[in-house]
Amino acid sequence: MLEIIDLAKRYGPVVALDGATFTASPGRVVGFLGPNGAGKTTTMRCIFGLARPDRGEVHWKGAVVDREARLRFGYMPEQRGLYPRMRVAEQLSYFAQQHGMAGRVANAAAATWLERMGLADRAKSKLEELSHGNQQRIQLATALVHDPELLVLDEPFSGLDPIGIATMTEVVRERAEAGVGVVFSSHQLDLVEDVCEDVVIIARGRVVASGAIEGLKNASGRQHLEVEVADSGGAWVDGVPDVIVLEHAGDRVKLLVDRSVDLDDLLARARAAGEVRTFAYQPPKLSELFMEAVAPAAADREVA
Amino acid sequence: MFTTLIVVGSFVIPAIFFSGETVTKIGVVEPAPVGLAAAIESTAERFDRTVVITPYPDDAAAKAALEDGSVDVVVALRPDLLSAGDVLFQKETDPATAQVIAAATVAMRVQAILGASGVDQATLAAAQQPPVIAAVEPQTEDDQARFLVANIGAVLILVGIFSFGFTVLTGVVEEKQNRVVEVVLATVRARDLLMGKVLGIGVLGLVQLAVFVTAALVAALATDRIALPTTTPGAILLLAVWFVLGYLLYSTALGFMGALASRMEEASNASTPITMVAMLSYFIAIFAVINEPDGTVATIATFIPPSAPFVVPLRAAFDAIPPWQIGLSLVITVAAIWVLFSIGARVYAGAVLQIGGRIKLRDAWRSAGE
Repeated sequence: MLEIIDLAKRYGPVVALDGATFTASPGRVVGFLGPNGAGKTTTMRCIFGLARPDRGEVHWKGAVVDREARLRFGYMPEQRGLYPRMRVAEQLSYFAQQHGMAGRVANAAAATWLERMGLADRAKSKLEELSHGNQQRIQLATALVHDPELLVLDEPFSGLDPIGIATMTEVVRERAEAGVGVVFSSHQLDLVEDVCEDVVIIARGRVVASGAIEGLKNASGRQHLEVEVADSGGAWVDGVPDVIVLEHAGDRVKLLVDRSVDLDDLLARARAAGEVRTFAYQPPKLSELFMEAVAPAAADREVA
Repeated sequence: MFTTLIVVGSFVIPAIFFSGETVTKIGVVEPAPVGLAAAIESTAERFDRTVVITPYPDDAAAKAALEDGSVDVVVALRPDLLSAGDVLFQKETDPATAQVIAAATVAMRVQAILGASGVDQATLAAAQQPPVIAAVEPQTEDDQARFLVANIGAVLILVGIFSFGFTVLTGVVEEKQNRVVEVVLATVRARDLLMGKVLGIGVLGLVQLAVFVTAALVAALATDRIALPTTTPGAILLLAVWFVLGYLLYSTALGFMGALASRMEEASNASTPITMVAMLSYFIAIFAVINEPDGTVATIATFIPPSAPFVVPLRAAFDAIPPWQIGLSLVITVAAIWVLFSIGARVYAGAVLQIGGRIKLRDAWRSAGE
């Protein structure tokens, strides 16, 4: 299990991390979410010792992460980068050997992953001769080639076409099923919802929500309602306390309703306005959970 | 390997074009005194010079030969030896040649005039015996060879620093520019990465230097350009040691200067101070030190790490450095390399992940802080 414990890091006047804490378990895919500048990349860099936290620790299997442990991690940084003039197979083998694999094993692993990425015929090509998407595949293969126990991917889906996304998703799921812990950051929340069991949402250097997606949805402080009242124009909802109108389209309104609101009372108000055609409870989408988790922090900040 | 060809060529080509000693071509206007040619030849021999004497029927013919370059100088002396005669050059007078000719003609006239007045010929000959000319410390071919070896050594160290040191610089900036360094540093310590780079390229450089020196020596021996000085194995060993030290010192500095740059174009700016120091050290070595190998400047430069790699082998080639100075200089330079590497590794670690613009030394130092 990977434990991020109270990480804090400043870059001059900029607070990158401010006591971030979360865990990632083997065999589970954790979506690491947050707005730009929230501290995702800094957290990942701390995991790999690329940034030294001012405070806090990263633990792996109960002990502070050291170089030995990191050899069994796989990393795909946000800033992609490999040796442009090195041949693809050599490159994969080189990185496998950096992680402690013996030469022959590393060569075999490189071949396996090239096969897996559908790039076996490009083994002898120089990296710079590949298309952007294929370079991205090689970058992923670099993170996977030494069969890591933990996979940390920073924005793995950015810049990929749908086929690339499918390959990436498949590989991530398959690795998790093989017992590997996966942490990846992404802004494509629908994708995260498909791929992940767990999410960690970080904002301004702090974790504002974490846990299983289902659990978060159920625990969400607000509920989503979709209500359609015939010929009402949706005006009936104005002035109802603790109800936020998310969308207003003709007679149909989408509402964000605080848990404290009595739904029976709300239904009664709708009936009073006309014939109720739809009154449906919807679980929040991940993107809504995200906005909800991130927004209050913004409000707090403004008050502060 | 192109450089090796150049080194070999610099010995072989002059050997082809400039083989043999220089010869002075002298034209003599007829009629000339009997024995003039022989007198000039024997005098020239005493001064270690070779002359070729061509007679011309008259003044005009001799002057024409002088003009078209068939001869370097024309001698006109009347057979009766009563007048002093003329020695004529085309443009510049060559004092050494003039001396040789003057000595020969004056001797002939003294003999003719005094001989006619009844002075004993043996006494006359004894009076004309020139003094014995010798140097207290004669410069031997050995010295010349040492000078050459020392010069080549200084150039090789400079070339080594610039080519291999800049390979380190380029490697650092490339890894940074490609962003591959983040993947690499996830498993390798920045310190180890810098050290690996410096050492790996260093070994390559040393092998090339060895090929170089071997090729140069073989070419020099094969073309008989220089007789190898007796101290050569020691000089080469010393040169190799200082090449390694100079390379380590400068490439470490270049490596961390490279980490401060984000792009290739910035790298050359970042490396300018290092380049300046190397050039300055080289010029101190080839001007100040060769001029006075055991002077104050040379002694001071021996103990300054950036100049020591140039100065010490040079002074050693002239036998102008006591062993204790070599030892002390080695200790100081190795210590400087160690300090520079420790600072360099920290700056490198701090700077190598920061992208965008030139990074200030202080920021890099801090961001890698404990």
